[in-house]
Amino acid sequence: MKKSVTGLRAWLVQRISAVCMLLFIVFVLFHFLFDPPRSYVAWHGWVMSPGVSVATFVFFAALLMHAWVGIRDVVMDYVRPVALRFATLALLGLCLLAIAAWVGRILLMGRG
Amino acid sequence: MRLSIFRFDPDRDKKPYMQDYEIELKPGDRMLLDVMMRLRIQDDSLAFRKSCREGVCGSDAMNINGRNGLACITPVGELREPVELRPLPNFPVIRDLVVDMTEFFQHYESIKPYLVNNDPPPAKERLQSPQDREKLDGLYECILCACCTSQCPSAWWNPDRFVGPAGLLQAYRFIIDSRDRATQERLDDLNDPYRLFRCRTIMNCTEVCPKGLAPSRAIEKIRLMMVKESL
Repeated sequence: MKKSVTGLRAWLVQRISAVCMLLFIVFVLFHFLFDPPRSYVAWHGWVMSPGVSVATFVFFAALLMHAWVGIRDVVMDYVRPVALRFATLALLGLCLLAIAAWVGRILLMGRG
Repeated sequence: MRLSIFRFDPDRDKKPYMQDYEIELKPGDRMLLDVMMRLRIQDDSLAFRKSCREGVCGSDAMNINGRNGLACITPVGELREPVELRPLPNFPVIRDLVVDMTEFFQHYESIKPYLVNNDPPPAKERLQSPQDREKLDGLYECILCACCTSQCPSAWWNPDRFVGPAGLLQAYRFIIDSRDRATQERLDDLNDPYRLFRCRTIMNCTEVCPKGLAPSRAIEKIRLMMVKESL
């Protein structure tokens, strides 16, 4: 399957990332429903605990990959000129990478 | 019965227009095609395709009140008036309700719609177990009327590169056939961002198929086979 794995790979990434996001959302909802933090400090402590911060990072990584595949599909459908398509995808990639860096920074800085 | 029919003759008209017709229903008029046949006696300039007039050939596929279907198996009693008839959406119009299906059949041809098996042929025929034969049910019945492909938004966006639901249903019909030996090649051919994966599971294909088939399910099965192959 060397020819062009992007079709299957993108499709799999979209589905697996959707499952990851769903699991995290259910986890957070259950936590806030059954053990809601009573103060900002308690909430901060919970979010910055190693397990939750890793799960949060995985959630955002899944979200960004999901967004990449979804928006890339829209661009492939509607943006036909090759140069414009390349520029749009490059801009999208940069925006998503910037968001990833921002999320990483928040999670790392919040620990200090 | 009142009808509003898409008319366009490229030799005569600058642009398409809708023409209104009124025709009295007769006791023998059961299906829309019966009415259209009598209408063509009134106006012999009206062009549409038809052949078997019983839902087997797929020639009279058209857009009936906004939904693709076969005129020959669409009961007149169920139609809202005026009945709006248009050619299959997104297909180039040759004249009136007759569309150019060249690209549609090119996609069909591209999936190699025949058994590929280079094993020495047996004395009589290549047999299948009843279980293997059953796997072709819901697939072999496709009559290639193009109702599904013409109603598929993914095919509207990429008509030149997306194989379309009809072609993919046919592809799965050969992928799953126990007598075929080119399964891997067929899967490789479809594993591309456009040929199969433009399908966004909108499912218009399954909704409009006049034969009650489910191209979206066949597409899903091809994807799952690809996942299994890649693991």
